[in-house]
Amino acid sequence: MESPEQPPLRRTIESGVMIALLAAFLVVSVLRHNLFGGPAHVKDSIGVIVAAALTLVMYSFLYRDNPMFKSAENLYVGVALGYQAVITWRESLRPEIFDAIVAAPTPEAMREALIHRSVPILLGFLLLTRLSRKYSWLSRYTYALMIGWGAGLGIVLTIDTYILQQLEAAAKPLQDGMLSGGAAAFSWPWWCDAGAVAGAVAVLVGTVCVLFYFFFSVRHGKAGSAVSKVGIWFLMISFGASYGYTVMGRLSLLIGRVRFLMFEWLKTSP
Amino acid sequence: MWYKRTIPLLLVFAIGLAAFVQEFVPAHFSGRFREEITMWWRIVGGFGLFIGLYSLLHMHVFRVRRRTPGWGYSLFVFVGALAMVIVGLINEGYGPLIDAPKDVKGWFDWGYDHVMNPCAATIFSILAFFMASAAFRTFRARNLSAALLLAAALVVMFGRVPVSETVGSWFGESSFFPKLADALMKYPNLAAKRGIMLGISLGAIAQSLRILFGIERSYMGGGD
Amino acid sequence: MGEKIDTRQLLVVRRIIYLLVALAVIVPYLVKLPLPFAPLEDSRKVFDRVEALPAGSHVLISMDFDPSAEAELRPMANALLAHCFQKGLIPVVMTNWNTGLTLVDGICKEAAGKAGKISGKDWVFLGFRPGFTDLIVNMGENLKGAFTQDYYGKSTQGMGALAGVASLKNIDLIVNVAAGSTVEAWIAYAADRHKIPFAAGTTAVMAPDMYPWLNSGQMAGLLGGLRGAADYELLVRQPGDAAKGMQVQSVSHVLLIVLIVAANIRFFVGRRPAKRGA
Repeated sequence: MESPEQPPLRRTIESGVMIALLAAFLVVSVLRHNLFGGPAHVKDSIGVIVAAALTLVMYSFLYRDNPMFKSAENLYVGVALGYQAVITWRESLRPEIFDAIVAAPTPEAMREALIHRSVPILLGFLLLTRLSRKYSWLSRYTYALMIGWGAGLGIVLTIDTYILQQLEAAAKPLQDGMLSGGAAAFSWPWWCDAGAVAGAVAVLVGTVCVLFYFFFSVRHGKAGSAVSKVGIWFLMISFGASYGYTVMGRLSLLIGRVRFLMFEWLKTSP
Repeated sequence: MWYKRTIPLLLVFAIGLAAFVQEFVPAHFSGRFREEITMWWRIVGGFGLFIGLYSLLHMHVFRVRRRTPGWGYSLFVFVGALAMVIVGLINEGYGPLIDAPKDVKGWFDWGYDHVMNPCAATIFSILAFFMASAAFRTFRARNLSAALLLAAALVVMFGRVPVSETVGSWFGESSFFPKLADALMKYPNLAAKRGIMLGISLGAIAQSLRILFGIERSYMGGGD
Repeated sequence: MGEKIDTRQLLVVRRIIYLLVALAVIVPYLVKLPLPFAPLEDSRKVFDRVEALPAGSHVLISMDFDPSAEAELRPMANALLAHCFQKGLIPVVMTNWNTGLTLVDGICKEAAGKAGKISGKDWVFLGFRPGFTDLIVNMGENLKGAFTQDYYGKSTQGMGALAGVASLKNIDLIVNVAAGSTVEAWIAYAADRHKIPFAAGTTAVMAPDMYPWLNSGQMAGLLGGLRGAADYELLVRQPGDAAKGMQVQSVSHVLLIVLIVAANIRFFVGRRPAKRGA
């Protein structure tokens, strides 16, 4: 970043450019959007103009960090915070507590809801004690129950989904190739099946080497170093692939914003 | 004190054991229990969300109170949050206790569509520029590992967009580059990702056991 | 080093790159480039899985994303819903991301409006509930207990779109359109547990991490990023924003490849004399 202390001339030029850009933005917005349609139309048009302004202000960060960017960034945090607060009430606390108990359609329904929901509501309020210094220890009861449940359930599911099924998938292609009397490995076209087996071997070797690299990080001998090095090569290729995909993802998001500016704000025809 | 530390530790162990054991109990016995307990967490989750939001707000209150550098920008957080909460509670005149009809978009949705949405989408899209600049300045094949990383990145970047098929067709095989990228994803990438996944899973199991046996206690927070 | 540039130069280089990236994304929208492409195998597998379902089957689509991933995942969600409606399937939509609620509502309404489908009868949007993995486990026991009402306030008891669906076990296919770690949770807590076929559409950033699941068969198919969305649009014969975005994506990728290769050539050329002198 450049020094915050700019020469006065440069500051004046920047201010001038800023005012010119703002004027251009307003002129273009007014020309492209009919602000005298009807209330609903105006609401939408103003919405698009506000969204375009915020988009461009966000992009101003590419030139330099500036107060407008910081203001928009903080406004976003605030709006997101307010949105989530309202949604938490509307989609969680109101239907689960207020509608189920206070606004229950019948006394039986209320009694039923009270029986089932008293404990979690109590646990919920205990969780709120986290905000107090004196009583925050009460929230430990809720955390203990939630974390204990997650840990106990997680052990079983992790072993099955993440470990056993993945190990099976690593071994199965080899098993299929070998156990069928070599038929799969040597059937016509032989190179195709042999290629599949070679691929499965490559995946297995790569997986083992990566695990070796992770788990045996202590200094090891020549053979160990070689295995570790192969593990690193596999990791590097994988990181490269992830990088390639990340570029794709970020550019897609940029494409999305450009699409918005061109087709919704400027209303050019696609 | 026993009720501050020992009881939570016992609770963790007891419910963890119950969660573990119920997985091996036939569904017609364990299903009701599972439904009841997970209903609890659905409700508690709502309170949890409020705690998260409060913490974020509290951080900005702290910034304003202490007048930390840039505290003025925190006022925009309050303006945005307050505006959304007010229009959310007014709820197009229906109030906070009942649903407004959702066929017409109100001011709450307006705030989401025209403030939150463009800001969120744009912030993440800025990274495209930074990635391009960083790649140009630092992405070098300095050694074998870096060369592998670079080559893989180029293969995927090229092989996953349509132009690679057009270029391939000039040489008689339009699917050459997409297949090359596919092979890279399905062999070396798969091997490395599976290795990472197995490593993380073993770590997660170890961590779960540490929690259940009371060795890992960070969830209890500070204090006695 | 042979590559030394001062801070001022660096700033200029950086701004030139920003400008080039911006042009690479804007210009292809103004100039038509014919760049045909064939859908990837992993995308086709998702399509085939949906295609094989008989009319009236329930497809749970969990749209776990928010506006930050809208550009990539909205076209994907649109195409998936369009396919479901074409085939007479019943999409049961929900989200685990509270910040995505209004967005997902808009996506559902748009797709249903285009197909002329009725909420509660031909499709349902359940909305959001907290709990994430616990919510999924809860839905595995009692779906209508977890969501007593849909997002529009209609009771799920007796709802036509959910006829025959008591829990996740009655769902015929789960598709997770995701921008976060929800994919793994759906596999572990729903698909594997209840033996429900599962497919995913993810952001490009997440796509490489999905290959172990694809290889093990725990995931039937994958739509990776905007390319996956474009593939699906082609497969359902409704080219939209993603398919149109592919030519822009091509140009911008080529720009980045050229920049990286040029920088490396400069690096190696600049390094040679230094070696000789050493």
